[in-house]
Amino acid sequence: MISNIDIRMAGLGGQGVVTAAHILGTAVVSAGKHSAVNPFFGAEKRLAPAESYVRMADRPVYDRGEILYPDLIMIFAPEVITMGKSYTMPFYSGLKEKGLVMINSDEPILSEKEQAGLDKLGATLFYIPATKLAMEFAGTELATNMTMLGALCGLVDLVEIDTVIEAVAQRFSGKSKFVASGTTAVLDESIKSKYAKVSLLIEKNTTAITKAYEYTKKLNQSK
Amino acid sequence: MNIEQKNVSPEHILFEAPRDKAFITGSEAVAEAVKRANIDMSIAYPITPQSESMHLIGDLYAQGYIKDYYRAENEFAVMAAVHGASLGGGRVFTATSGPGTLRAAEMFPVWAGSRQPIVCGFMCRGISLPPSIQPENIEMTFLLDSGMLMFHAENAQDFFDMILKGYAIAEKPDVHLPVGVFVDGFFTTHTREIVMLPPEDIRLSPYDPKCSPVPAFDMETPPMRVVRDPLLNKSNFISYAANASWHQEILAAAERSKKYINHYMNGLIEVDNPKAKILIAASGTAVAQSREAIRDLQAEGIDVGLIKVKSIRPFPEKEIQAATENAEIIIVPEFNAGGWLAREIKASLDHNSRVISAPRIFGGMPMPKELIVNEVKHAIKKRA
Amino acid sequence: MSNRIITPVKEFEDLLPQEYKDLVADGPFFAEKGVDDLGTFKEIMEQHPHCAGCGEALGMRLVLAGLPTPQDTLIIGTPGCSFFGLAQTALNYSNTAFGNQNAVASGLKRMLQIRYPDKHKDVVVMVGDGGIADIGLDYTLHSWFRKEKITTIMLDNEVYGNTGGQESGMSKEGKVLNMAPTGKKFPKIPVFELAKTSGCCYVAKVTIASPKKIGKVIRRAILIAREIGPTYVQLFTPCPTNLKFAPDQTLKVAKEAEKDYYPFEEFISDDAAAYLAKVEQAKGDGKS
Repeated sequence: MISNIDIRMAGLGGQGVVTAAHILGTAVVSAGKHSAVNPFFGAEKRLAPAESYVRMADRPVYDRGEILYPDLIMIFAPEVITMGKSYTMPFYSGLKEKGLVMINSDEPILSEKEQAGLDKLGATLFYIPATKLAMEFAGTELATNMTMLGALCGLVDLVEIDTVIEAVAQRFSGKSKFVASGTTAVLDESIKSKYAKVSLLIEKNTTAITKAYEYTKKLNQSK
Repeated sequence: MNIEQKNVSPEHILFEAPRDKAFITGSEAVAEAVKRANIDMSIAYPITPQSESMHLIGDLYAQGYIKDYYRAENEFAVMAAVHGASLGGGRVFTATSGPGTLRAAEMFPVWAGSRQPIVCGFMCRGISLPPSIQPENIEMTFLLDSGMLMFHAENAQDFFDMILKGYAIAEKPDVHLPVGVFVDGFFTTHTREIVMLPPEDIRLSPYDPKCSPVPAFDMETPPMRVVRDPLLNKSNFISYAANASWHQEILAAAERSKKYINHYMNGLIEVDNPKAKILIAASGTAVAQSREAIRDLQAEGIDVGLIKVKSIRPFPEKEIQAATENAEIIIVPEFNAGGWLAREIKASLDHNSRVISAPRIFGGMPMPKELIVNEVKHAIKKRA
Repeated sequence: MSNRIITPVKEFEDLLPQEYKDLVADGPFFAEKGVDDLGTFKEIMEQHPHCAGCGEALGMRLVLAGLPTPQDTLIIGTPGCSFFGLAQTALNYSNTAFGNQNAVASGLKRMLQIRYPDKHKDVVVMVGDGGIADIGLDYTLHSWFRKEKITTIMLDNEVYGNTGGQESGMSKEGKVLNMAPTGKKFPKIPVFELAKTSGCCYVAKVTIASPKKIGKVIRRAILIAREIGPTYVQLFTPCPTNLKFAPDQTLKVAKEAEKDYYPFEEFISDDAAAYLAKVEQAKGDGKS
């Protein structure tokens, strides 16, 4: 299992990059490791660029703020790259050598220049059809953050997938009071209303995560 | 309130009660502290990055943990109203950030002058112009001589503990001064991390207004034809002396608070690896960043120690003098343009050319450990 | 406060100043004293450092005599002329920062309601025209919007007195004053009208030329603030020093203003009127 890793998640406001980071951090901590998680420090606006950061380690994590030198970058929407909806340009700036990049897209979207940039770093790139998987298994694109998380766990041995699923249940059942921000709280309510019942929401999310996990697990083995 | 809370001593809640692991943000840590602080009243006005904590405190009011709470018209009104509430003899809490701190600034010396044990959170951020909502602690420099006790938290754990410790220290009859608990906004408020929490079915015992050096403002003490606040507007030496001695007493009360800070906060400073010839002295989030830098420096074989300054007022002059006696290089990284901590440290030390005021980060940027590592290496090179 | 708190213990009585003993024996605490009784009891404010002929000093004296329950009244002020007299009252009085009085009073009133749920603690703001209409207007209006149960009293001398005769928002249009060297360019701020539309349940405008009316409106304002909501009294207290008339003309100036542009006016909301009718009918009304 990988111990010390810094992850940068970039997407559009409303896609759930903040929630994804919190769920991952919660899972890591409940597995007995250390983690610190924070969102980008700016105004929250739907469809505006959004970033969040997850640090995890087997020793205390002191470092805070934006992760400037990530080991792993997760891009939740192609527009982050193609339309420059990002705080970080190019999207891979700061990526450590031999780093890993996951992009939510059904097809390749990188320009030659961007691909060359990644090649120079010796980075590994995965395209994940995360929104497609979310639509298929949860019936809503709002579950894209779930499929991205599932896909991450299938690609990298960070934390048991069951621990992540447990963290999702905690997150939406309100068992532990969880407020990422005022705006996120409002989105939570809108997503809850989509499913009528919280348990159904958790079930759908669990399916989405599991399917995405299986998808990348296979992908990883075939590579 | 869905749980019965038992009133306990600060010692019990801080030192004796078992603690459980929570994975929460700094803003949530504030609410967890307030939940256990037996607050009578809290007043809020939104400003980033303080807002979330004061929303959560509003929820605590709705749940019955706090007896009164409202959203006031601006920060000056908030600080004036908590002053009024504190005059009335109860325990109050509020919080603000950056521009809110400056808007309300006229009230802070009033709190100290009225000897009120108000605890206020300051989630520090940039001050315009150019506009910035991002982390920066320049506002602390404006409050250094407001008469308030000032504690600087490194992380959410500190923030939680220092609020409760703040009440314990502020309410001692021989202190009875306001306490500001400062954090670097966002770095602490918006970061989710591990915080160890005592159970939620215990809380501090209520504030006792009879243990105050000035009577509560409630018309329950004999009304003499004298002013509660000393009449100082007369131009004669008796009134000058009255004013001066009142101020001296505020400074003396801050001095007396040191014994309680030592008791509750385990010292005004904390020193790691005191024998090192190179020391990093920092407060707030800069301490956390320094810990990461020191880890890298030690791995490279460069021996560096750390002074964490927890109490900014009273300032630990003697403690820092003792801790730096054998130091040859003292690096002071800060999240502000002015370098107020380095100035304070320089003013406390002999041979203060040892003090290097860098890196100074502002405008909202993070302080990567690499910057601190570079400063240390640069200082070593320059000395050689 | 109970009578026991102010009554000296016999053994220590001789140690107390005569001033204090007189206040206990002949003062207005726990006694049914009002404006009509002035001259027959020891007052809450007697000596004061105000100018000769000060309208504000007389206004404060009349207001204090009109308090229904002085032993449970707390006064919040702001720096300015009013500070000098009020600072020497035998009541809890506090003034702190500039213009914050209604915010301080809001916090104080709420905390006293928490600590003394079964008692009426009357929180009264008494401040000059600059304190309310200029530097403290936001806080005044917001306390009314929030329906804080406090009484706000403006001592309107139409000028900044303590700082030396500058224009205030309550100065008359055209008046030449310091900082208005060519005359004030806009009329008096309509605080009276603002009070009516901002949530006050009882609003009155009166001058020091009508002491009995002052006694009556203060009593009404405080009783209504206890049960119904915020109340506002605007009291014309002309300033001989800065408005430049002879000190022995103060009452004459007030009387002329009453005829000319400062007539007695009273506004009362329906719920406040119903409440008032109830307490004024009852015998020994409201002197709890």
